[in-house]
Amino acid sequence: MSTSTTETRADRPATDRPVVQMSGITIDFPGVRALDGVSLRLFPGEVHALMGENGAGKSTLIKALTGVYAIDAGQVLVDGGEVAFAGPSDAQRAGISTVYQEVNLCANLSVAENVMLGHEVRRGPFVDWRATRRRAAEHLARLNLHLDPRSPLESHTIAVQQLVAIARAMVVDAKVLILDEPTSSLDRAEVAELFRVVRQLRDSGVAVLFVSHFMDQVYAISDRMTVLRNGRLVEERLTRDLPRRELISLMIGRSGEELAGVEETARAAIGLHDAGAQPLVSARGLGRQGSVEPFDLDVHRGEILGFAGLLGSGRTEAARLLCGADRPDSGQLDVDGAATRLATPLQALQRGIAYSTEDRKKEGIVGDLTVRENIALALQARRGAWRPVPAKELDAVVDRYMVALNINPKNPNALIRNLSGGNQQKVLLARWLATDPRLLILDEPTRGIDVGAKAEIQRLVVELAQAGMAVLFISSEMDEVLRLSQRVVVMRDRVKVAELVNDETVTTDTVMATIAADPAADPAADPAADPAAPADEPRKGGAA
Amino acid sequence: MTTTSSPAGSRPAPAPRDPSSPSLLQRLRRPDVRYLPVAGTLATLVALLVVGQVRYSTARQDFVSMKLISNLLIDNSFLLVLAVGMTFVVLAGGIDLSVGAVVALVGLTVAQLSIAGWPTPVVLVVGVLVGTACGTVIGVLVQHFDVQPFIASLAVLFLARGAATVIGTRSLPIDDPGFSAIASWSLRFGEGRTSWRLNASIFIALGVLAVAYLVLHHTRFGRTVYGLGAADRGHAVGLMGLRAERTRVLVYVISGTCAGIAGLLFAFYTKSGYNLTGVGMELDAIAAVVIGGTLLTGGYGYVLGTGAGVLVYGLIQVLNAREGLDSWWTRVAIGGVLLAFVVLQRVISLKKGPGAAPART
Repeated sequence: MSTSTTETRADRPATDRPVVQMSGITIDFPGVRALDGVSLRLFPGEVHALMGENGAGKSTLIKALTGVYAIDAGQVLVDGGEVAFAGPSDAQRAGISTVYQEVNLCANLSVAENVMLGHEVRRGPFVDWRATRRRAAEHLARLNLHLDPRSPLESHTIAVQQLVAIARAMVVDAKVLILDEPTSSLDRAEVAELFRVVRQLRDSGVAVLFVSHFMDQVYAISDRMTVLRNGRLVEERLTRDLPRRELISLMIGRSGEELAGVEETARAAIGLHDAGAQPLVSARGLGRQGSVEPFDLDVHRGEILGFAGLLGSGRTEAARLLCGADRPDSGQLDVDGAATRLATPLQALQRGIAYSTEDRKKEGIVGDLTVRENIALALQARRGAWRPVPAKELDAVVDRYMVALNINPKNPNALIRNLSGGNQQKVLLARWLATDPRLLILDEPTRGIDVGAKAEIQRLVVELAQAGMAVLFISSEMDEVLRLSQRVVVMRDRVKVAELVNDETVTTDTVMATIAADPAADPAADPAADPAAPADEPRKGGAA
Repeated sequence: MTTTSSPAGSRPAPAPRDPSSPSLLQRLRRPDVRYLPVAGTLATLVALLVVGQVRYSTARQDFVSMKLISNLLIDNSFLLVLAVGMTFVVLAGGIDLSVGAVVALVGLTVAQLSIAGWPTPVVLVVGVLVGTACGTVIGVLVQHFDVQPFIASLAVLFLARGAATVIGTRSLPIDDPGFSAIASWSLRFGEGRTSWRLNASIFIALGVLAVAYLVLHHTRFGRTVYGLGAADRGHAVGLMGLRAERTRVLVYVISGTCAGIAGLLFAFYTKSGYNLTGVGMELDAIAAVVIGGTLLTGGYGYVLGTGAGVLVYGLIQVLNAREGLDSWWTRVAIGGVLLAFVVLQRVISLKKGPGAAPART
């Protein structure tokens, strides 16, 4: 909802001089042209959104502006004068500060040090800590942040750290503030707080360059947009003149109708499983102390079972019990109707249960291995170390999935860490699909990836279910869960609170209401009182 | 989603009205978890002193005395200097295994040059510079050739030890008058049994410690060293516009220079140079750093804690000798203390709380 109450600043006369003007920027990497003649204008007192899919060149453009990458062709003007920055500190001196996606501060140092280092008050060669801390507190106070400057940065939430990073960026009296995916790890209230600060800075005449995957946020905060695709400039337009649908089709280079098509197939194609059929996997009172409360769950062949709930509501924890990553300390797990003990993910894999992690970077990809090797991992694990997968067979598998999942670049020997997030996710999918699982658990498979790749993954999930695979689909995006799944399990505070049959009565609002319901107010909704029958719980939320 | 600015009260952590300047008392009441390892070191030090005082004090002489302190410092001055240099490297997330071998190389270099008749001041300066050069090699390897610190310093360890053996395999006595004068100079205090002294090595070692403290805690360079040891291997430091590359080279240069100074102090101590001195001394230095409360993963620690760590190390030796045990029991005791401190560090880093790492839930 782009119902910003603050008026946009787009009404300025077009004669205003941009504070930054990049034109014809071209950057070549070995074998790839990352940017091809891209232009970008930033006006003072304006929030400018840089849009594009993963791999469109957004990060490269930012790094070109801040001097991290050398520019092969093109021109950068700051305040009308041509510049060539040798590094981030050069750019900072010219008034261009950057706040990166992952908080790039030193968590082990104090707040004051993180704000001021490099600009600290000095007496001779020594830092005047008293004055430095006072100055840091002033800078923080300008953003309405009241923190103890001595406290270690790591004692604060990610959101506060993000704001500290902005405070640091403003120490140099930045004329241009670049925010690269600043909201990816923030919750709503925190985003609102961040936006308050961004608006404040904009109103004081700073040019803000905002990069985000979240459409709502982009429309809420930005005044102007530049859209990139495949390293080229597609469009620069005022935000209010660029409707969402059009933006998406500009970004992916296809029409929005194509995307919408996925939704329809998903709903139509899969009916509800037979009531009497034996479930593939069945959990009774399965739980683990401090991780997730005992829950019951049946997963049937050929269905997509959605898991909805906030981050930290126990979705991942429940999935980890089903795939042998964590050991339950209560309850029973049946696979094919027989009681089963899954001590390791390998045992689960041997029974046809595969789990694709939500933490792609840490638990998913092995960055220094190639795409081919990453795909082979689970397949090899399933066979055991002494029976190597024959090269020919592996090549066939790799080729098949690289084509089927449209993995880019089409080079199985590329290092996976050089791939975009969406393509890394597809490689992970290929890894698990290669083991031919019967139950595929996907934990946040579409987080942080762009619209096009998202749609492809969703389509694939539907196809897999149609082919008879059971899919457990975990996502924070309610729309996505509702679009794909036939049944939705709702988690709250590590408890399974409801299991909804996803018919037309179930909407994002109903699910939200179920998640938000206060257990104290409604004793019937308190699953702790009756953990055995959460599935029978009445639906809440006024969608009767 | 709502986009209106939220009231200031919606910040997740409820903060006191003016938290930006908590009083000293407030800070004492809620001590920072970061000080815990150093507090552990000090507690260990006190415990050892109490044990010694109870067991070995006689009617005529207390165990804990200026004499004890001065002897500890004299016997461990070279180790203190080594450990201070090592603290820089460890704080920056690295390791320097070469320092023991550098001590031997410096000792032999000094002995040879003295025999060759070089003037004493030149000999001393060259001795220190040998250490500086070794450190520079490691620093350049680590920073510019992206070699693991472990491997880079291991290579220099072999180089230095080998070079020392090439210079000579016999113990070379240093009888240069200027050198001997410095080595045996000391200030005496007190009379008879309780007399104690301060020699040149103590002043040099404490001087190095003081300078290291000032540099680490009161200069931009020092804070950059801490930043390099942060969880992201110093990635942020560069993006913050600080001079990460130069700093990473410099910590090894500092460690090498400290090893050079320690080599001189060891030569003062033994009045000779020998190619097999200092075997395993780098591990003693690392042990002192860890016992002193610096995390081996980098980023956390205090150089004054390292000073306390060296004292703990020395005291264990003294108590062991007083107890009349075989000297290998010293190793066992130090191993035990080290183990306890490593476990303590682990517990602390696990307890650092949810804010420490990006929440993953």
